[in-house]
Amino acid sequence: MIHQIPCFEFHDVSFAWHGERVILERQSFSLPQGAFVLIRGPSGGGKSTLLRLMNRLEEVETGEISYLGQNLTDWHPSELRQQVAYLQQTPVISDRSVRDILLQPFSFRINREKTKPSDQILQQLLGKVQMKDIGLDDPGAVLSGGQRQRLSLLRTLLTGPNVLLLDEPTSSLDSESRRCVLELVEELNRQGTTIVMITHDTFLPNHVPVMKITIDQGRVFVCR
Amino acid sequence: MPLTTGALDISAAELALASLFIVAAGAISLWGRIGLGKPILMGAVRCVLQLTIMGYVLSFIFGIASPWVVLLLFCVMVAFAVRIVRGNVSEKSIPFVFPSFVTMLLVYTVVTGIVSGLIVGVRPFWHPQYFIPLAGMVAGNSMTALGLSLDRLLSDLKAKRDLVEMQLCLGATPVEASQDIFRDALKAGMIPSVNSLAGVGLVFLPGMMTGQILSGEDPMLAIRYQIVVMFMLVASTALTVSLVLGIVRQRCFSPGRQLLLRSNRPQ
Repeated sequence: MIHQIPCFEFHDVSFAWHGERVILERQSFSLPQGAFVLIRGPSGGGKSTLLRLMNRLEEVETGEISYLGQNLTDWHPSELRQQVAYLQQTPVISDRSVRDILLQPFSFRINREKTKPSDQILQQLLGKVQMKDIGLDDPGAVLSGGQRQRLSLLRTLLTGPNVLLLDEPTSSLDSESRRCVLELVEELNRQGTTIVMITHDTFLPNHVPVMKITIDQGRVFVCR
Repeated sequence: MPLTTGALDISAAELALASLFIVAAGAISLWGRIGLGKPILMGAVRCVLQLTIMGYVLSFIFGIASPWVVLLLFCVMVAFAVRIVRGNVSEKSIPFVFPSFVTMLLVYTVVTGIVSGLIVGVRPFWHPQYFIPLAGMVAGNSMTALGLSLDRLLSDLKAKRDLVEMQLCLGATPVEASQDIFRDALKAGMIPSVNSLAGVGLVFLPGMMTGQILSGEDPMLAIRYQIVVMFMLVASTALTVSLVLGIVRQRCFSPGRQLLLRSNRPQ
């Protein structure tokens, strides 16, 4: 169900790297709640930067971005990032055990009161992304690039964010793993999670309507 | 062999003889083609000039019974220490000079005051004959540690930006997101002073003890002073490094909890 307050609203937003390379130039658009948004565009065009702005890892130069009707700057940064989870393009996985890696968000004060998932649930989640042969005690160091990417995605999901900002979540995956991950992401969207995903794939979700965004030379083109 | 009372004088000619050590170091630089000849020469000249000036200043200050003069000289010493620390830190985008100066001044004053006033029992505690040399040792030792740890903190935060941002994105505060990096930087700063605790007396005889023995003091008294000094150095290093690292770490993050250190490569 699409609610009236947009999930994100960009109003006259401009951003440039080091004041020179323009990523966005006075752009205004909105993303509805519960949407499945695909972002495409030329390499270096600013797709990742757009996600970083939504997660407030970068600040806009002019204009404002709102999440659920409230300016991003009015949100407590940790609370915003809890609700609007960003998955980096290159997964960052430590040498600790798979269990410790997955449960890392629960070591932070903002998540301490949440119930940690049990080993059984963690193992089930690993199964959903074709990693059922990976043990929870296995060190992160032995995982392949594709396994790290999937593990990173699961870690991001565990605190139950409302929005998932995914930066090429399947770039290191084979076709079977890619299919599993995209099915998982679709399932989350059907349950109400807003998905904003960068992908170079020709992927289109099967069962949910898609909103397509292209970024090029400072302009955002929205196709609903 | 009986102890001599008072240090033996070193004449100008004998001092000039000591400069042969500098010539030897310069010759090795030349032979190894490592290009350190000029820095060695400049360093030696600075060493002579600075120590000579300090000798005259100390002689002057010892004659004036004023805590403010002692404090002024101490502020100048700390200012130079901060300047040296700044030169040792390659990352220049995060301002740390003022908080470093204030923290170093406060910590060194308190630690030195405790040693001179409480442990050694000097009255007044700021007596320049004790306060200045002790404070100078504290400043000299911990400034090296501070430079090391600051450089480590800032370069690691920059190099491990992805790691820090990953944790920020999972809801971590800046302190939580940088905790491992902070610990590594703190350890890097403290390890040299901790190691010197283990090596002193076996690997090397430290300067204060050496100076006292040369001037005819009983070695058993000299070692007591040295033990106090070693403990003082470890504590002052730990305090200074942890406080300054904490302040500088905070400055590395914006109010929106973004890491301000970045490479020049945009994402």
